[in-house]
Amino acid sequence: MEGKSPMTTTVNRPAKTLAAIKPKPTFKQRLNVFDVKASPYLYIAPFFILFALVGLFPLVYTFVVSLFDWHLLKGQGDFVGLQNFTEVLQDRFFWNSLFNTVSIFLLSAIPQLAVALFLAAVLDQNLRAKTFWRMSVLLPYIVTPVAVAMIFTNMFGEQYGLINNVLGNFGLDPVMWKNETLPSHIAIATMVNWRWTGYNALILLAAMQAVPRDLYESAALDGAGALRRFFSITLPSIRPTMVFVVITSTIGGLQIFTEPRLFDPATAGGSQRQFQTTVLYLWEMAFQRQNFGKASTIAWLLFLIIVLFGVINYLISRRIATADAAKPTRSTRRARKRAERTTR
Amino acid sequence: MKFVRRHTATAIAGVAAMALLATGCSSSPEQAASADNPVELTVTTFGTFGYDDLYAEYEEANPGVKVKATNIDRGSNARTDAFTKLAAGSGLSDVVAIEEGWLGSIMEVSDQFVDLNEHGAADIKDNWVDWKFKQGTDPDGRVIGYGTDIGPQGLCYNGKLFEAAGMPSDRESVAELFGGGDATWETYFKLGEQYKAATGKAWYDQSGFVWNSMVNQMEEGYYTKDGELNIEGNPEMKDKFEMLAAGTAAGLSANQTQWDWGNGKAFVDGSFATFVCPGWMLGTIKGQLESAGGGTESGWDFADVFPGGASNWGGAFLSVPKTSEHPAEAAKLAAWLTAPEQQVKQSAAANNFPSTLKAQEKLVADATPNVVFNNAPTGVILANRAKGVVAQFKGPDDSVIQENVFGPALKMLDAGTADADKAWSEALTLLNDLVVNN
Repeated sequence: MEGKSPMTTTVNRPAKTLAAIKPKPTFKQRLNVFDVKASPYLYIAPFFILFALVGLFPLVYTFVVSLFDWHLLKGQGDFVGLQNFTEVLQDRFFWNSLFNTVSIFLLSAIPQLAVALFLAAVLDQNLRAKTFWRMSVLLPYIVTPVAVAMIFTNMFGEQYGLINNVLGNFGLDPVMWKNETLPSHIAIATMVNWRWTGYNALILLAAMQAVPRDLYESAALDGAGALRRFFSITLPSIRPTMVFVVITSTIGGLQIFTEPRLFDPATAGGSQRQFQTTVLYLWEMAFQRQNFGKASTIAWLLFLIIVLFGVINYLISRRIATADAAKPTRSTRRARKRAERTTR
Repeated sequence: MKFVRRHTATAIAGVAAMALLATGCSSSPEQAASADNPVELTVTTFGTFGYDDLYAEYEEANPGVKVKATNIDRGSNARTDAFTKLAAGSGLSDVVAIEEGWLGSIMEVSDQFVDLNEHGAADIKDNWVDWKFKQGTDPDGRVIGYGTDIGPQGLCYNGKLFEAAGMPSDRESVAELFGGGDATWETYFKLGEQYKAATGKAWYDQSGFVWNSMVNQMEEGYYTKDGELNIEGNPEMKDKFEMLAAGTAAGLSANQTQWDWGNGKAFVDGSFATFVCPGWMLGTIKGQLESAGGGTESGWDFADVFPGGASNWGGAFLSVPKTSEHPAEAAKLAAWLTAPEQQVKQSAAANNFPSTLKAQEKLVADATPNVVFNNAPTGVILANRAKGVVAQFKGPDDSVIQENVFGPALKMLDAGTADADKAWSEALTLLNDLVVNN
């Protein structure tokens, strides 16, 4: 097998004999060495240069701004050290925004993952017109978030919205989708779910398809039902992908902006900040209150919070990964044993 | 700002280089536009501005000028757009429309706008009503904006709903009903209670606009003439707030969403019977009626009366930012667009009220009936309503106070979640958090 690989010619370069004779390396040889040593860095350099330019620089610059009194229009003011940070941390609106963000995140992430998992499991079955079904769950994802937000905002209107009209036809009281906190969070979570469920379902589906089919067959022969197979084989096998999906939706969920911004275009997240998320508060601080220093502070605090969530996710995922490698859980072990027994 | 400036310079240089490449000529930006020296001017407006035909007319009269226009849906979004671009130091159009409500913020950085005196502002200064021209002049005497329209307020009312409630419905009787020249807010709310008793329906759409009208009417609004905050311990303002709160508590507010109104449905389904109407609002109502599929039969009319006397809400200016590459051409376009002749056309297209004297006279002389408002001669009425308007000083945070401080407090009243005292103290708390200790 190895002999067929085109890579072997470079691997077998007779470096040792050359080193033993030790002639002065020619320019071409030195160039070659430089090529081998430096090229990889050059190849990856564009990413790092771009990252430094559009990622690292703004990050550092935002931190610099957060240490100043900085007016949006009038520009840099006095150096205030960490005063912006202490003030934002004592700001009731900041904590309110954080509560809203986490609440909307939980209301969207949990149902979203559950439904995505279910959808993926269904799509993993032997369906007719597979591609059609798979493409159609991705459809909401291609629609621009602004269009989604506008349509849903219309539906969730308090006095003229579709949903309250339907409720009214059944003699139910209208829900105050924009004036009450929980209904507004549910409405926004619905928009997020509508957009992201299919996307996550496809990622989970890809992971499910990598699960060896013989596991299912042998488990079925052993009498495990569909539910049992799902919980004992599918779920444990796609755990790394689940972790990935959880991490990405956490990062996305903590940065949510478009949906709450457009849910009530006249205010920055509701008349009493019922659904003002942290990014939306940042936006209000920068562009309505024109306090760029504090806005940068909020941006940095949000960054730290996301890093914190990321670290927690990382620790959990590492634990799961090592646990998987060292000691398969009882159910998978049993299933595997069963599979071995039947194939033997 | 150091960093920003340097980047701005490079950005501008870059843009300039690109523009030079793109046009392939124009050695000096100040060279007048002609067929041989084409110039593209960008214009940003908001809401219902009625400029589309005028752009075409200008292009035809000035060969080589191409106008690229952007219209932003509402003033507050235009504010964000302008502020963002001012902060970034690039991206502003050659001509930018600025709303009276956030002119105070703009005045703080008036040095970022071209002094129109350099482009002949002094020669045309007598075109405008004097207070409008003064508003566009900064403390150093630099003219940074040409006035487009002003917002004298009359009363929009729904004749059909008035009739159904057993009230007079023709314009003259309605004006008299509200007290004619001595109309007061007390009468307005008293009539509202009568209407509510007769029909069970609301009197106005929501409290925010009524409040704006009340505040704009005061000699000094959120700021004193000297630029001091003027809210806490201002008995006149608190009295008006309590009056409005009592009206709203009595069910006179329909608790509609500003600028949304269920996509205009609230204007055709009889949700409310009166509406405070600065000139430009007539265009807004027309748009709302159109989007809801309502027409002249919806019953809206415009009366020559306003509670509490003369009031001006809003109005806009055209400015040329320093970042413009064609300041002379841009100033020329701004001057042309705001000249009396064009203001008359703008008024016809957007239903707003011009800020130049000759245009106002023309509107009065024409007395064109406005089909949307039951053939009311809206121009004549607005000219009457403009009499006695005094310009109010607008401070740097005027629009924040209007939207982020009083907005939430008034919404609490509309939603019935607070009484007058609680809402007022909420407004003061917000003022403290968002403006005083910002």
